[in-house]
Amino acid sequence: MVSLPRRIIKETQRLLQEPVPGISAVPDDSNARYFHVIVTGPDDSPFEGGLFKLELFLPEDYPMSAPKVRFVTKIYHPNIDRLGRICLDILKDKWSPALQIRTVLLSIQALLSAPNPDDPLANDVAELWKVDEAEAIRNAKEWTRRYAMDN
Amino acid sequence: MGICHCKNKGRNSRRRELDGASHNAAEDRRDTALEQDWWKSVSPKDVEMLILDSLKAIRSLVENDQEPPQELFKLHNIADQDDGWIQIVDSMVRVVPVEDPLGPAVITLLLDDCPLPNKNAVLRLSSKFNLSSKNRVSRGMDNRKPRNICIALGVLAEKLSGPSSVAILTSATLDFLIGNLEDEIDPVVTLFSLIALEKFAQTSENKVTIKRRLAEAGDPLLRLEARPPSSDLIESQVKFCATWALDNLFLVEGRKFSYETVDVLNINAMLNTKDVSEYLKISPDGLEARCDAYSFESVRCTFPATEGVWFYEVLLLTPGVMQIGWALKHSKFLNHEGYGIGDDEYSVAYDGCRELVWFAARSQEVGGGRWKAGDIVGTLLDIPAKVLHFYLNGVQVFSSDLLFTVSANKYFAGASFMSFQQCRFNFGSDPFRFPPDTEFKSFNDYASLSPQERIVLPRHLEMEALRNMSIREDSCAICFDSQAETTLIPCGHSGFCQTCTAQLFECPMCRAKIDRFTVDPT
Repeated sequence: MVSLPRRIIKETQRLLQEPVPGISAVPDDSNARYFHVIVTGPDDSPFEGGLFKLELFLPEDYPMSAPKVRFVTKIYHPNIDRLGRICLDILKDKWSPALQIRTVLLSIQALLSAPNPDDPLANDVAELWKVDEAEAIRNAKEWTRRYAMDN
Repeated sequence: MGICHCKNKGRNSRRRELDGASHNAAEDRRDTALEQDWWKSVSPKDVEMLILDSLKAIRSLVENDQEPPQELFKLHNIADQDDGWIQIVDSMVRVVPVEDPLGPAVITLLLDDCPLPNKNAVLRLSSKFNLSSKNRVSRGMDNRKPRNICIALGVLAEKLSGPSSVAILTSATLDFLIGNLEDEIDPVVTLFSLIALEKFAQTSENKVTIKRRLAEAGDPLLRLEARPPSSDLIESQVKFCATWALDNLFLVEGRKFSYETVDVLNINAMLNTKDVSEYLKISPDGLEARCDAYSFESVRCTFPATEGVWFYEVLLLTPGVMQIGWALKHSKFLNHEGYGIGDDEYSVAYDGCRELVWFAARSQEVGGGRWKAGDIVGTLLDIPAKVLHFYLNGVQVFSSDLLFTVSANKYFAGASFMSFQQCRFNFGSDPFRFPPDTEFKSFNDYASLSPQERIVLPRHLEMEALRNMSIREDSCAICFDSQAETTLIPCGHSGFCQTCTAQLFECPMCRAKIDRFTVDPT
C-alpha cells in the first residue's frame, strides 16, 4: 500500500473510539482513504427519520486539501444536486487543514437542518424552496421517506 | 489510461463524482430538454441496440477530456425511472458477449453511471433473474447470462453496500453464487460468482452470512484453491481469486495464510506491496497481479534499473485493458481518476487491447494486432542507447526514446489494470519465452530482497498493524508525523510542525494571515 499518513491513522482511530452521535464513518476494509458514511436526518428537519449514505474520500494531499464527499442516497435539498454533490464552502475555498472528517460531517448534518436556497446547487429545488417553501418541504419529506428509510 | 468508468472526469465514476460540486448548466439543460416519459416509447430492442452501440463506442474512447458517447446519456436517462433501470440491466445481461474483452467494463460502467436504484427496484430485478441453485451452468453450456448476472450483482453489491446489499443477498442469490463454486460449473461463471461474493462481503453483515454458508457447503473455496495447476487461463484466475479470498476475506480456521507456505527463495524482484494503489491484488509470490475493482490500479516492481540493458516478460491471463511498461519513481498512480503507467511524462506503457502505446497520457497507435489471453508481452529497456522496445510474442511492436526525454536514474517495471484484468510477471526467475536477440540483464539476477520484503501480507493484517500504531499526543495537529513546535505570528496559534507551517498562508484555526512564525524552545 502507498504509505498512509499518520494524520489519517489518527483521525480513523478517533472516529472509531469516539463516534459522533448521529453519524457513522467507517473506513473501507481495503482502502484506508475511503470512508462509508451514514448521517441521520436531523430532528425537526424534513429529513428526520432518514438514514443518508455518503462516501468520503481523502485525496492524496489531505489535509492540505479538503476531503471529497458525496451523498449516495438521493436527497431533495437545494445545496445538493442529483449526483449527490454538495455545495458547502468548507469543502471548497473555506477548507482549513485544522478541519477534520468529523467536523466536515457535522457541517453536512447542519446543512440538512438549515438549507440555503440562496446558494443553490440544485436550481429547480432551490427555486421551489424560495417560492413555495411548504411544497419544497413536502417534497423533501417524501424523498426522505422514499429513498432514505428502510433502504 | 483507464477507460470510462475511471476516466471521463466528472461524469460517471462513483469516486470521480466526488470531484467537487460544480453548477453544471449543460446537464440541467439536458434534463429539461427531455420529456418526462420519453423512455416509455423505447422498446426493449432499442435498449439492447443502445447497449451494443455503447460497447462499440467505448472502444474508441481514449482521451480523458472526451465526452462520453451519446448512447450512455440516453441509457442514463432511461434508467432514471425504476422500470427503465430494470429493463437496462435485464437487457445488458442478455446481450453483452462473453468474448468481448470490454464487456465487463461496459456492464460496470453502465451500472455505475446510472442513478442509484432504490431497494425495491433492485429486489424486482433480482426476482426477474430468478436465481437459485437450480439454474446451474455446467461446463460447455451457454455462460453469457449467468456470467453477466454475476458481474451486475457484484456492481450492485458494491454500489449499495449496507442494508440494501444485505437485502439483495437473498437466500436464492446465495444458493446461486455458492452453488457456482462447484467443480462441474463453467469456470467463467465460477470466477465471476466468486468476485460477486467478494463484493457482497464488503458489507460486514453479508460477510458473516457468506462465511457461514461457505462452511455449510463444505468450504468450496478450499477445493478451488486445491485444484491442480492448469494451463487453462480461466482456471488459473479461479485459483488466484480463491486463494486471495481465503487470505483476505473468508478466512478458514486451520488454513495457513498463503504467504506462510509459498516458496519465494529464488525470487529476488517482486511487485512492490509498498508501491501499489489500494485495490490491486498481488499473489503471495509477488509476481502476479489482478484488479477486480472499478478503478485503474497500478503497481511498480521492487527493483529499479539504473544502467545497462534490461528485459522482462508478462503473461496475459486476460485480454482486456492493461498498460504494461516502465515508470520512474515520480510517476503517480491516480487510480480513481484513471491515470496509471503511461499517463504522465514519467512513464510509458503498451496496451495491446486498444493497440496503443501511452506516454504522458497521450496515446499512439501501434501494430501487432490486438492481444489475446495467453500472449506474452516483452519489453527491453536500453539505458545507454536511450531506447525502449515492446514485443508481442517475440515480435517487436514499438520502439522509441520516450521516457528518456527527462533525466532520471531509476527505471521501474510497472503496469496498470482495468477491472477484471490479470497478468503474471517474469522478472527472470523463470526462463524467458521470447528473449530478444541481444545482450540484456534480468532483475532477478541483480536484485535482492530481505526475508521481510518477500512477504506479501494480506491487506487486513497490514491495516490492523496500522490501526494499532500509537501516535504521540504532542504531534503536529496537521500531519501527526512530527512534533508540534511553531507559533504563528501575529495570531499566536500553535500546535504545528515546521514542515506544515511552511506550507500555510493563513492560520488553520482563525484564518489570520501568517506574517512569520517562531520555533518553540524544546
